[in-house]
Amino acid sequence: MTPVAIKAENLGKRYLMRGMAPQTLLSSLRKGFSRTPPEDFWAIRNATFSIPKGSTIGVIGPNGAGKSSTLGLAAGTITPTEGSIQTEGRISSLLELGAGFHPDLTGRENVYLNGALLGIPREDITKRFDAILDFSGLHDFIDQPVRNYSSGMYVRLGFAVATEVDPDVLLVDEVLAVGDIAFQLKCLDRIREFQRKGKTLMFVSHALQTVEEFCDEAFLIHKGDLVQQGNPADVILEMIRHHSGEGGGIYAQEFGTRELEFTDVQLQDENGNQPDHFLSGSPLKIVLSYTAHHTIAHPVFGYGIKTANGQYIYGTNSQILHQDFGTLEAGQQGQVTIAFDPLYLREGNYFLSISAHSQDHETQFHRREDWYPFRVKNADEAQGIFTQPTRFLS
Amino acid sequence: MRSIQANWELLRALVSRELKSRYKGSALGVLWSLLTPMFMAVIYAFFFRLLSGRAANTPSIIVGVFAWQYTAVSVQQGMGCVTSNGNLVKKVSFARTILPISTTVAAGIDYLISLVVQLGVVGFFLFQNGEAWSAKFLFLPLIFIHHSIFNLALAFLLGAMNVYFRDTRHVVGVLLSAFFFLSPAMYDLSFLERFASEMSPWITQLYTLNPLAGIFTAYRWAFLPSADFTPTVWMWTGMSFPFVLVIMGWFVYKRAQRNFADFI
Repeated sequence: MTPVAIKAENLGKRYLMRGMAPQTLLSSLRKGFSRTPPEDFWAIRNATFSIPKGSTIGVIGPNGAGKSSTLGLAAGTITPTEGSIQTEGRISSLLELGAGFHPDLTGRENVYLNGALLGIPREDITKRFDAILDFSGLHDFIDQPVRNYSSGMYVRLGFAVATEVDPDVLLVDEVLAVGDIAFQLKCLDRIREFQRKGKTLMFVSHALQTVEEFCDEAFLIHKGDLVQQGNPADVILEMIRHHSGEGGGIYAQEFGTRELEFTDVQLQDENGNQPDHFLSGSPLKIVLSYTAHHTIAHPVFGYGIKTANGQYIYGTNSQILHQDFGTLEAGQQGQVTIAFDPLYLREGNYFLSISAHSQDHETQFHRREDWYPFRVKNADEAQGIFTQPTRFLS
Repeated sequence: MRSIQANWELLRALVSRELKSRYKGSALGVLWSLLTPMFMAVIYAFFFRLLSGRAANTPSIIVGVFAWQYTAVSVQQGMGCVTSNGNLVKKVSFARTILPISTTVAAGIDYLISLVVQLGVVGFFLFQNGEAWSAKFLFLPLIFIHHSIFNLALAFLLGAMNVYFRDTRHVVGVLLSAFFFLSPAMYDLSFLERFASEMSPWITQLYTLNPLAGIFTAYRWAFLPSADFTPTVWMWTGMSFPFVLVIMGWFVYKRAQRNFADFI
């Protein structure tokens, strides 16, 4: 059995709603006299998990689901209300955008202070200082007070310290989103290096693709429940299916005048089935059923596809493709099929948006943005998010 | 062992941060920890003379006011030791008890620096009056430790309380100025005799339950060859409070720290 790095049993953290804000003496007196019990909510409850040493865990879920609380509990900054959580080895954490820096001190002084907070002798920090400085790239600013740092610089230094101090467990809460692209790539490299060294990593991220790419396992947390844990691709699909897709999520939205309304949308494979996932290189059909509530001349149907990270990949409409649907009578029902033959997208989770609008683009009849999540699996060994038809000539 | 060493490192880092950030950006820097009580002592000496009509014992006032300054700074810094370090408390797990210890140690270091000046000033007055140093000043370290324990107890209690009740700051601000007048900082215990003889002796008894009554009197005794230190049972009782309080404060703080991150 592999040794365990983090082990949680029946872990729960409750917050009192009124206790959240610092109280004044008066308000606590008043509370003492009032008979209504204070409202509370569980940031996380009944979470049981064990993370083997050397594995990388991605924690996903909508905002306010309890991800950061879980990380805080693992880091030991928050005390559990019930249950327990145990960790093995030295923990380094980047919670809530950055390390614990003191604004009045310079970057250099903060590096030493942070080292001391993590229990690292001063000499060791001195030895590693140049590496930290190089990684952060803040050579010109290291002797400035950190209050003058930009949020990106703050994160750079925080990440540099947290990873350069050679922790056994690294906890990272959505920090990668702040740095610029170059730094993000550097961070991801550093994370790979961590993985190679057999360190344990747990990070919260909304970048689902990153989670899928980097993690051995993903945790889905929703409204304080650890809903699912397991293979990242499956967990991510579960997340976008039930916790953000199909109109249930935070990104998905629906709008329009509904003069023309979608009544049913199906994603079908070549046999007309609606499978769990689609194979890259095989056909995919999107069958839109609609009802026209008014007479509509020359409606335009369109779609768009985004990655799970929200990157827009492709979109087009019937007008661009010179397809005319004539005039729809009021009350008319019908179907439009969008056929991909073959599907060029490659392995990953995607969001489909669909729309119907007027010929002049003035009126949006019905639009469902990021409404339909779907999953694609590869049929061959090539990599990336789409298939570039390729021939090798000689 | 490793954790003791790590905590020692951390204490050192926090104390140096405390001292650095206190004077960062001020032109006179660490001189302020001398200037503030110096000015206060001069002002008190002046008004003491004005109000009481008799010459103030300036060295006695200096000793009292500097010692008071140590408690005042400890309380003010200790009260905010958790709340002003919210960034650390929320983001890093470490022994939280180090926070009030570090503010108290930082205030103590300030005070130790000021001791040098006090010795100089008091020495000057002694020289002027033709008096010589007595060996009593060798007791200063003991008194200093006793005083520090009291200050640490206050830092534990107020630091934890301020996390849960943010108006601690205001209440303590008011209580601190009352405490100043209830402690023998700008006067010595002889000042009480008038009240005691006019009203009732229990005024002195009650008064000396204040640990600072004993501690400040002990400082004077150590500094000034002519000063007496003859504690009553009441004063001994008062002087034992710091030890009780520091143990109490430790447990209260330990208990309270579980939820620090939730309230900051």
